[in-house]
Amino acid sequence: MQLLINPSDELPIYRQIMRQVTEAIAGGRLKSGDKLTSHRELSEQLVIAPLTVKKAYDELEALGYIETQRGRGTFVCASLPQPDRKKQAEQIQASARRLLSEAYLAGLGFQEVVKALTEADRALTVGPAVPEEKASK
Amino acid sequence: MNPILEFHNIERAFRKGVPVLNGVTFSMGEGEVLGLLGRNGSGKTTLIRIAMGMLFPQAGTVRVFGLSPGGEPVAVKKRIGYVSEEQVLPAGASIAEMLAFHRYLFPTWDSALERQLMDRFGLSGNSQRIHQLSKGQARQVALMCAVCHRPELLILDEPAGGLDPAARREFLETSIQLLNREGSAILFSSHHMGDVERLGGRVVLLDEGKVRLDRQLDQIREEHCVAMIPRSAVPDGATLERLSGCLRVREVFDDWHVVFQGTPDAVRRELRGSLGMNEVRCVSVPLEELFVELVGGERMAGVKS
Repeated sequence: MQLLINPSDELPIYRQIMRQVTEAIAGGRLKSGDKLTSHRELSEQLVIAPLTVKKAYDELEALGYIETQRGRGTFVCASLPQPDRKKQAEQIQASARRLLSEAYLAGLGFQEVVKALTEADRALTVGPAVPEEKASK
Repeated sequence: MNPILEFHNIERAFRKGVPVLNGVTFSMGEGEVLGLLGRNGSGKTTLIRIAMGMLFPQAGTVRVFGLSPGGEPVAVKKRIGYVSEEQVLPAGASIAEMLAFHRYLFPTWDSALERQLMDRFGLSGNSQRIHQLSKGQARQVALMCAVCHRPELLILDEPAGGLDPAARREFLETSIQLLNREGSAILFSSHHMGDVERLGGRVVLLDEGKVRLDRQLDQIREEHCVAMIPRSAVPDGATLERLSGCLRVREVFDDWHVVFQGTPDAVRRELRGSLGMNEVRCVSVPLEELFVELVGGERMAGVKS
């Protein structure tokens, strides 16, 4: 597990660990059944209090992402919880605000952002534009 | 759980009428980690010295393991480890002599832990004398002397003060390892908020002789926020001070910076409800910013005549 924490981040350290573990699970870098680094080892690796690691793991366990098997360690659950739609909608809104401010700062208009989004959508769903299209412009 | 350290209404002044500590009360339990914060001169070291029995309080009581540190110093000190920034080890003594002395003083001395730390710190050529060591190495020797008798309470007074970032991190790594292996309680004072965040646990903030804040670090981080309000919108700081959850109002150029206990959402609701203000910028901040907002001075725009 490659985690990196930053004490002066807006999020407390245990939340940073939680976020990075769930991101690793979402991105497939951690799969069901994978073993997580032990409390003690992670606390020494990251140079943070053991209780902070415990708190992060406890919360992840309560949310259903990981489970502790006594004497064996902590593992990613076989069946993972479904994402929270409301929370994700909020996150998307926040990302949208960031995207728009970046675009406006760069002097781009709303329509140009929509165009970029449409192109991004096409790239994701049908794959990148074929070279001929570019050549014909 | 029995408290291992208790301060009750501690008062102490060094000049008449100028109290450094003016009624400080808190206690800590077994295995607890507690960071003591405050500006220079806020009384952190004074309080720690009172716990060590090096100073007497002028009023109030202090108990360590239920005992008075001034009345039963040996019984108390046996169970404490102490490292401070100002600690002076005898310059002419060698590392080996320092360790032999402490080994002789403490019957519970753990030689295996001593060897482990020696290897870790790379101090094995221990005929070196204290004055030949770097500041960081001398602090490592002090830490070894403080922990090898496996104290139940480790007191660190600005232990990383004056160390470079790498030496500070090494010191922190060792403290974390001790926390993992020994589970001893730690009372530490520090100006490095990043280190405080790493050690976690509880935070007690001293200000103007009193405990200004006493909560778990994670709660402080998640249940406090700073609202920035234009002074044109609220001409009077006292109006803000009366709001529920308000801990501090500070003038920063053209704005008020207001520290609230509460989540940003809850505080925005409060501001909307009581002052009819919408869209107030309200953010969670790291400990360092919160510290500055709580005990930092006012920052005026321009010089007022």
